[in-house]
Amino acid sequence: MTPSTGRRTLRGSGLDRVLPYLMLGPTLFLVLGVIVYPLIDGLRSSTGFFRFGRLVRSVGLDNYRQAFSDPAFIEALLTTARFVVLAVTIETVLGLALALLCAREVRFIRRIRTTLILPMIVTPVVVGIVFRLIYASDVGLLASFAHALRIDPPQILSNGTGAFWGLVFLDVWEWTPLLFLILLAGIQSMPVEPFEAARVDGAGAWRTFVDHTLPLLRPTILVAVTLRAIEALTTFDQVYVLTRGGPGTSTQLISIYGYQTFFQFQQTGYAAAMLFMVALVVLVGAGFAVGLMRRAR
Amino acid sequence: MTRSAVARIAWSAAALAALVFAVTPLVWMVLTSVKSNREITQDASLLPEALTLANYVSLFAGREFGAYLTNSIIVTTLSVAVALTLGTMAAYVLARFHLWAGMQRYVGFGLLMVRLLPPIVIIVPIFLVAQQLGLLNTQLGLIVVYATFNVTIVVWMMESFFREIPIDLEEAAMVDGDTRFTAFRRIVLPLAAPGLVATGIFAVITTYNEFLFALVLTSTPAAETMPIGAATLIGRINVDWGAMSAAGVIGALPIVVFSIFVQKHLVRGLTMGAVK
Repeated sequence: MTPSTGRRTLRGSGLDRVLPYLMLGPTLFLVLGVIVYPLIDGLRSSTGFFRFGRLVRSVGLDNYRQAFSDPAFIEALLTTARFVVLAVTIETVLGLALALLCAREVRFIRRIRTTLILPMIVTPVVVGIVFRLIYASDVGLLASFAHALRIDPPQILSNGTGAFWGLVFLDVWEWTPLLFLILLAGIQSMPVEPFEAARVDGAGAWRTFVDHTLPLLRPTILVAVTLRAIEALTTFDQVYVLTRGGPGTSTQLISIYGYQTFFQFQQTGYAAAMLFMVALVVLVGAGFAVGLMRRAR
Repeated sequence: MTRSAVARIAWSAAALAALVFAVTPLVWMVLTSVKSNREITQDASLLPEALTLANYVSLFAGREFGAYLTNSIIVTTLSVAVALTLGTMAAYVLARFHLWAGMQRYVGFGLLMVRLLPPIVIIVPIFLVAQQLGLLNTQLGLIVVYATFNVTIVVWMMESFFREIPIDLEEAAMVDGDTRFTAFRRIVLPLAAPGLVATGIFAVITTYNEFLFALVLTSTPAAETMPIGAATLIGRINVDWGAMSAAGVIGALPIVVFSIFVQKHLVRGLTMGAVK
């Protein structure tokens, strides 16, 4: 960005005075109607008690209080937190390793990169299907391997621990490419001087990584991790296809529990209250991420 | 062996491992989809012994995958087109004009915050509004919702692309007799084209893949999209692994093909403006 642009803005006259508002109007109208209005409406229903989808009476903040004495909500929250922390940590480490691996320009590197990001392009619902086909205890990929090696097939989706880790592994497979892409871009835009100086000084690869790569990459890592974490917090599609939250409640993430509270248990007000608390966490994270992204521009 | 030869072999091995890790799950789905159900359940073979397309035929003949595909293409194309048109106009205004109360500085930020909000939070009220307006189970309902979510990201990305284009270029053109509109079309738009392409790619991929809104807002093949078709099929057939894997392949195929077509611009689109 050149210093002169951005700060200068136009102040038109005549038609130019109304034109900006006419051009901005449709966008604002859509967002106000389809997102902001429903949001306010949902906030209102989060203070109500509903029966069969109809508002019976207003209950103030009771729905919010109820959440904290609801063991299922607390459990869903903890499961989600565990899922996000584990998945995002593994994705960051693997993504960084892959980015370092693919930062060099060798033959076929473009094709290698494109292939590596395939998992994040594939429809999330299909990713759920893919992993059902891998984990299936009788016909899955793992079972077929076990069969070929003449050992007992591993049971993944039939027990809680297995299903939870199966879900973490799915997320790692699907979203490591995102971390990889963002970090790769970060690596490629790093200045070359510190690295040349380090080489002249005879610094080893590991020292160079710790002293130069990591510090320079820190802002990028922060943006990538935050973006990924807020998305992981509301993971839904893959769980819906893979386990529906089961077995038991072992993979019941907060989004699945909220969805069921509304569509199966018809507790409109409670579901709204629960999800708004999640939204608050997401908004704080999002504000943080966007602030970082703006500063980077 | 020299040190550099060892390094090269290690690099190749690592790259190969990563590629295998990324591709194997998808290959397994494709392999399963061309096996007969007898082979899948009884033989537990790794590679198919006899190829069959029966699983695919059943998706289009007995089930509604043709309709899902059509719905997905219509909904994705129209919502992205609307979002690109409206969002580009809005982004241009935000990048170039001084608005009432200096709001040009905050609108983009506000829109992005809205975009990052988890859809599940507003799915309930949107469902209720769509019900009142008679937009449940229609393509139009989905198009409106998707266009709105897409327009937020278009504004955020295009605003920064427009800001990178020096304002003097347009002013010079306008001094030479261009109107604001022709200056925009002849000067600004071509320069912002790479950004527009990247934004469009991101919007197409996220829209085609979207699941939650479509799950809640549609209920029959009249409006259901590909992800819904695949997911509901899974719910109904618990053990028809052949049909399940074929549904997965067909479900993901359009967006994978699209990505291969646009692969030159893919990376910029996928990182959503997080990096430039």
